[in-house]
Amino acid sequence: MARWGMVIDLDLCTGCGACEVACKSENNIATVPPDQAEMGRAISWMKIQSHLEGEFPDTGVLFTPRPCMHCDNPPCIRVCPVGATYINEEGIVGQIYPRCIGCRYCANACPYTAKYFNWYGPEWSPSERRHLNPDVSTRPKGVIEKCTFCHHRLQKAREEARADGRDLREEDYQPACADVCPTRAITFGDLDDHSHRVAELTEDPRAMRLMEDLGTRPKVYYLASRERNAP
Amino acid sequence: MSPTRREFVVTAGAAGAAVVLSRPQAVFWTAADQVDAGWEPGLEDRITSACLVCPARCGIRGRVVDGRLVEITGDPLHPVSRGGICSRGLAGVQMLYHPRRLTSPLERVGPRGSGEWREVSRAEALSRVVERLGAVREEGRPEGLALLSGYCAGTMADLWRHFLRTFGSPNHVRDEYADGTDTVMALTHGIPRAPGYDLDRAGFVLSFGAPLFESWWSPIQALAAFGGRGTHEGRRPRFVQVDTRFSRTAAAAHEWVGVRPGTHAALALGIAYVLIRDELIDHRFVAQYVSGFEDFTDATGRSRDGYRSLVMRNYRTEEVSAATGVSVSRITELARSFASTRLSVAVCGSDVTRSPSGLLEGLAVHSLNVLVGNIGRPGGVMFGVDPPLQPLSEPILDATARSGLAREPIGTPGAQFGGGDGPLRFAESVAGSTDSQIEALLLYYANPLESSARPGVWREALERIPFVVSFSPFLDETSGYADLILPDLLPYERWQDAPTPSSYPYPVWGLSRPMVDPPAGGTHTGDAVLELARGLGGSVAEALPFDSFESLLKARAQDLFASHSGMLFGDEFERRHHRQMEQRGWWLPEHRDFESFWADLVVRGGWVDLFYDETDPSRLSRRGDGRIALMPGELLQALDEEDHTEAPFGPISRTRSATAAEYPLLLIPYRLSTLASGTLALERWLVEQPSVLPGVFWRPWVEVSSGTADELRLADGTMVWVVSSRGRYRARLTVFPGTARGTVCAPYRLRHPDGELANPLQLLDETRDPLTGLSAWFTTQIRLERA
Amino acid sequence: MRRDASARLAGMSADEQALLRPLLETSRGFKITAVVLGGIVLWGAVAYYLQVRYGLGRTGLNRPGYWGIYIICFVFFIGISHAGTLISAILRVSKAEWRRSITRSAELITVLVIGFGAIQPIIDLGRPDRVMNVLLHAQLLSPLLWDVISIGLYFTACTVYLYVPLLPDLALIRDSGIKAPRLYRFLAAGYRDTPPQRARLERAIGILSIIVIPIAVSVHTVIGWIFAMTLRPMWHSTIFGPYFVMGAIYSGIAAILVAMAVLRKAYGLQQYFKAVHFDYLGRLLLLFSLLWFYFTFAEYLTAFYGGEPAEMRTFWAKISGPFAIPFWSMVAGCFFIPLTLMWRQSTRTPRGTFVAGIAVMIGMWLERFNIVVPTSVNPRWEVESIGHYIPSWIEMSIMSATFSGFILLYMFATKFVPIVSIWEIKEGREESVQQVSDRVAGYLPDIPAVVAGGESG
Ligand SMILES: Nc1nc2c(c(=O)[nH]1)N[C@H]1C(S)=C(S)[C@@H](COP(=O)(O)OP(=O)(O)OC[C@H]3O[C@@H](n4cnc5c(=O)[nH]c(N)nc54)[C@H](O)[C@@H]3O)O[C@H]1N2
Ligand SMILES: Nc1nc2c(c(=O)[nH]1)N[C@H]1C(S)=C(S)[C@@H](COP(=O)(O)OP(=O)(O)OC[C@H]3O[C@@H](n4cnc5c(=O)[nH]c(N)nc54)[C@H](O)[C@@H]3O)O[C@H]1N2
Ligand code: SF4
Ligand code: SF4
Ligand code: SF4
Ligand code: SF4
Ligand code: SF4
Ligand SMILES: [Mo]
Repeated sequence: MARWGMVIDLDLCTGCGACEVACKSENNIATVPPDQAEMGRAISWMKIQSHLEGEFPDTGVLFTPRPCMHCDNPPCIRVCPVGATYINEEGIVGQIYPRCIGCRYCANACPYTAKYFNWYGPEWSPSERRHLNPDVSTRPKGVIEKCTFCHHRLQKAREEARADGRDLREEDYQPACADVCPTRAITFGDLDDHSHRVAELTEDPRAMRLMEDLGTRPKVYYLASRERNAP
Repeated sequence: MSPTRREFVVTAGAAGAAVVLSRPQAVFWTAADQVDAGWEPGLEDRITSACLVCPARCGIRGRVVDGRLVEITGDPLHPVSRGGICSRGLAGVQMLYHPRRLTSPLERVGPRGSGEWREVSRAEALSRVVERLGAVREEGRPEGLALLSGYCAGTMADLWRHFLRTFGSPNHVRDEYADGTDTVMALTHGIPRAPGYDLDRAGFVLSFGAPLFESWWSPIQALAAFGGRGTHEGRRPRFVQVDTRFSRTAAAAHEWVGVRPGTHAALALGIAYVLIRDELIDHRFVAQYVSGFEDFTDATGRSRDGYRSLVMRNYRTEEVSAATGVSVSRITELARSFASTRLSVAVCGSDVTRSPSGLLEGLAVHSLNVLVGNIGRPGGVMFGVDPPLQPLSEPILDATARSGLAREPIGTPGAQFGGGDGPLRFAESVAGSTDSQIEALLLYYANPLESSARPGVWREALERIPFVVSFSPFLDETSGYADLILPDLLPYERWQDAPTPSSYPYPVWGLSRPMVDPPAGGTHTGDAVLELARGLGGSVAEALPFDSFESLLKARAQDLFASHSGMLFGDEFERRHHRQMEQRGWWLPEHRDFESFWADLVVRGGWVDLFYDETDPSRLSRRGDGRIALMPGELLQALDEEDHTEAPFGPISRTRSATAAEYPLLLIPYRLSTLASGTLALERWLVEQPSVLPGVFWRPWVEVSSGTADELRLADGTMVWVVSSRGRYRARLTVFPGTARGTVCAPYRLRHPDGELANPLQLLDETRDPLTGLSAWFTTQIRLERA
Repeated sequence: MRRDASARLAGMSADEQALLRPLLETSRGFKITAVVLGGIVLWGAVAYYLQVRYGLGRTGLNRPGYWGIYIICFVFFIGISHAGTLISAILRVSKAEWRRSITRSAELITVLVIGFGAIQPIIDLGRPDRVMNVLLHAQLLSPLLWDVISIGLYFTACTVYLYVPLLPDLALIRDSGIKAPRLYRFLAAGYRDTPPQRARLERAIGILSIIVIPIAVSVHTVIGWIFAMTLRPMWHSTIFGPYFVMGAIYSGIAAILVAMAVLRKAYGLQQYFKAVHFDYLGRLLLLFSLLWFYFTFAEYLTAFYGGEPAEMRTFWAKISGPFAIPFWSMVAGCFFIPLTLMWRQSTRTPRGTFVAGIAVMIGMWLERFNIVVPTSVNPRWEVESIGHYIPSWIEMSIMSATFSGFILLYMFATKFVPIVSIWEIKEGREESVQQVSDRVAGYLPDIPAVVAGGESG
């Protein structure tokens, strides 16, 4: 049984934001109007967090791309009164949009603020609807959503592999963000499969996870050499 | 007002009573669970193409599901982007399906700019243009036709040039990436071409203000190198960014050197000083290939100081340190690592050349490459060549054409060493003259009313032009002033070649091909030009005997096939294999005939030749003496003739004069990587959060240091007027620690949600580099007022 | 009808007259108040309609400020509900005789307020239409579900606990026939205050008052756990269970005091709500203000002493940051004001306790605010930007509507049941005096029987 996980090399991340937009395109994430965005209601399953420090000319920054950590011990699912967020046998934490009652308890329980709420329904003009990804359902107003590790891609990859009568290969299942990163800062794969790069990268001395002390056991690892990188 | 109201009306309307009973989810107080995109289970396809959103021309793959482009990703086989792509490219789907995209030709009915249009058929629109242009030629004033084109490269550029020549108009006005580095190369190497940088194999990249990871010629080329993706062993060059602000490139680079505005060149020469002093330069190279290093006597027999003496005299590290604000030890350090690392390159950004003495500063920066001799070899500065395409056959010009071409192009002469701001001079001259010099103006990829530093002048100019045609697929400001709009197809609907910019040293010929069906009313501007030519008949028609732009591209590709060089896009292994072969002088044909070659080319996305002939001396210098000139004769001459104060490598100019109390702050405009071209402002994914640094949404902003904000008693987030002697615009004040005190960093290409422009370039003062005519972007003083 | 009703009333005992009069006579002030409050409730209904129709976007909530006014009110109202049940139960169990005239008004508060508390989380839902999922897809690991259960239980228990002691009075009204005979015949459910019935009634009350205590305690413990079970700074704290219960009782007592003071004025019940009642409850208030300080101090000291960066961001946000004003107002309202007023006999008067009660209620509302909002907008991850939360007019309207609705209902209730338990008063007069002296005698050593010297012949 695979344990899907991600390794993000912060030394390679340039904060270009391609992963953010790729995710929005892949997962049908709508924009919100200006006033809403300023209230903090913009949705970005993958979020580049820039941590600035120092004044000119000694300014420094740390770009931290933040998807859902797909914790092995996710605080978010335990608190959900209706089981609308769950972890599957391959360690992917998912949402059941039609069941979510929108209490936002999971959002409060997530230490990584990885969850987003649909304060209003998504807004797609009829012409824009044409570029929606048919593999991913849009979310109605009033429910929680978050990074899914592009789970639908896994399902498709599986079907294709089955059709070709072969096993799933590492490159068959790559989420959109990892796909597009121009510096290849994002690596994705099966943490338990030693033929996958992620497995070896997690051994890297630079490897660390966010808030490991909380015991959430995230499946997203970060590689950071620069001292100040340690969040 | 709630954004869901419309949503609600739609769903409730759709739902209706019956549904309310049967499906409780559909009653008014719950949104429908799905946005209805009218999906039918359809065929899925991945199509290789090229991104035309910016000059980089990366390789892309479109995911097309039952006839809709639902997703764009990078093409792993493209030799430059290698699967990488940027947010602009990804958001392309939002350009393609933008609600305000024009799908039919429009003819103005109301007065100009009134926004009253009527739809007309393609045929009708084209015939009207033919009429007018025909008339212009009849009158024997072909020079009365002018074309303003924005960034356009490859065959579209050639086609326009060819069309105008055969038509007989000298007035092809280009508004495109004029970063002045081509002029620098023309002088030092006699090669009038922006330099290429082999970043993949470089060891140390010292960038002087070039926004490598943002809006450089090819951000993805730089990012791929930064990610160590160019070499199979994944070696990464060390990136050091010299910049006046904490740009995202500076933020991501291994090291950032913050300098005072306008002192990039001083720092470069300070480094040169250390190189010379500590004997770190490549003496062999300098002695063999370089002129003007030592003192010399010029053609007029006058003895002159050479580069060495000038630098040793004028750029002692202490003085440089004082001027730039970079510590002496840091300068020395930079010099040492620049010299000690194998394959170091100094990259000159347009921000260096876009200053009052930009040309000289460009020379200064480039001189570092000369000193370490890292030129014309892998990992260094290289001069690429264009792909060996079949040239458009030299047209036979009729009398009319010849008479027209004999005329001076309007708006010339520019400066001695470069066209400078051609578009602006053109507009000024048209607006200034009483008689209508220009009968008809064609707009291709150009929106001067938004992007020009002087939209007012452009408006006047447009008033004076009786017939204005825009090919823009969107109703941008300038198109709003046109008489006729013949909307172009969007990139994902059309054939176009996509040669990568000269920053990549190897010739690459990418191909953009249709992924989805175009709207019936749209016309590929390339096809439109061909039809115009046909319509005009005579020599013009004969010069362009192609039935479609696609067939023109195909025809030109014949020579690629015949050239017996290069390869079609392939993976890392194929690339390496091909390179080694060609280095050994071998080339194996992969295709029997041209047809199979073309078919394969279309599928693979393009052609590249990774072989670079290091032995070819003409790739080092094409100057008369075959040497690289640190002190170009013609430049020295020019400087003597006109009463120029500064000389190359002269004393550090104490500019930044005591700033007028009225305008205490220095404006630093910078190009926002996410919105670098006008159309991108339409893509909501990009505009919602245009920068991760600082976190901002939708609204235009300007950045100041906390110190400056305190002085002005303006809190973070207040709306301010940015005011210069030339004008003002509204923006939100953002306190940003990466901004130097006393400066205001102003991203451009932003608009207010209601469409109101916020363009710092329109505040720029008149300062220009007299040598290149390029306007200086970093000399304008401003003040901020609470709005 | 009216006339003979009052005629009948005239024929009754003094207690009955005093306590039943409000059921028959309605003052103008009452009507005006009722209309005003009713208006506010309607206004709130409109606000909620808009919220449901267009989405929670109409609130001031955002990311990371996920919870606000509604959750605050939820905690607050359920807290208030501890007034009646818990207090009256404790007093009953401990046979505190002075309880007799206050239990009824207290229990009434409880039952009426729970409902208003319980709907808050539903108002807060993004998808109220799916509220049934809580039962259909119950996920028992979620503290929210524990809450659903304990509140449900609590509500049932309290209603029974209110109803059973009401029976004798309902029967009385029925028999006196002064008001809506059919209604009271139904409500009194054939209770005929016969000695055996009365005996059973008393036993039932005795048992109930023991049962409701643990249930009441559980309710607010669980509410505390909703927060404590997350890993959020200044929520993740073991003290929250007891802390919340204590706070609940505290605000409950305050509520009773305010209610009593008002009723006393409105219905001229000075004879029933005597200074001594205010004095005793005042003492309780004093005790709880000290308890409150103890808990709060313990809670904040622990957070501060640990000095964990994430905790400290929230900590300072409250102490000296953007939430300083609500924080220190809370301290004033929950500690200084009640303390200063309640520890001197001279200010433990009806007026003094009224003021203190109001202060405590406001203070406790602010305490809920200071628990919910600052943590919510201060994410644990320092890289994440700090949020802001400004309630929208929709939220404010719904909140005022909730308060008005509660008061309105309470007012109406006083029109249907005597706000002071008539039979308990009677029982007090007739039996307890004797019982108490006997009981007291019982505490004392028996008087040794004097052996009278026999006189012989
Ligand atoms: N993605 C994308 N890329 C593009 C384009 C596009 O449309 N999209 N357009 C292309 C075109 S047309 C152009 S012209 C180029 C423009 O690209 P550039 O010419 O590089 O323009 P900017 O990116 O605005 O660079 C301005 C830089 O100059 C720096 N600077 C500020 N003050 C000073 C100063 O006093 N002195 C010096 N020397 N530098 C200073 C600023 O910090 C800023 O980083 O981009 C090209 N690249
Ligand atoms: N605000 C602002 N002003 C600027 C600059 C800036 O970055 N920001 N840059 C300056 C520089 S360096 C330059 S080079 C100039 C460039 O300025 P312009 O030459 O105006 O280039 P853009 O504004 O990028 O694009 C012009 C228009 O091309 C149209 N267009 C988009 N897609 C297509 C298409 O597929 N086909 C056709 N036919 N038209 C299309 C769009 O309507 C767009 O408005 O602007 C200069 N002024
Ligand atoms: S795409 Fe890669 S480099 Fe760009 S922001 Fe995301 S992770 Fe960083
Ligand atoms: S990161 Fe947050 S949302 Fe994702 S699994 Fe962990 S706790 Fe749940
Ligand atoms: S918001 Fe939805 S997913 Fe999150 S806890 Fe509530 S019901 Fe569960
Ligand atoms: S994994 Fe998929 S869903 Fe998650 S951030 Fe990346 S692209 Fe978005
Ligand atoms: S860099 Fe330019 S060409 Fe490449 S993907 Fe981005 S926009 Fe397209
Ligand atoms: Mo440009």
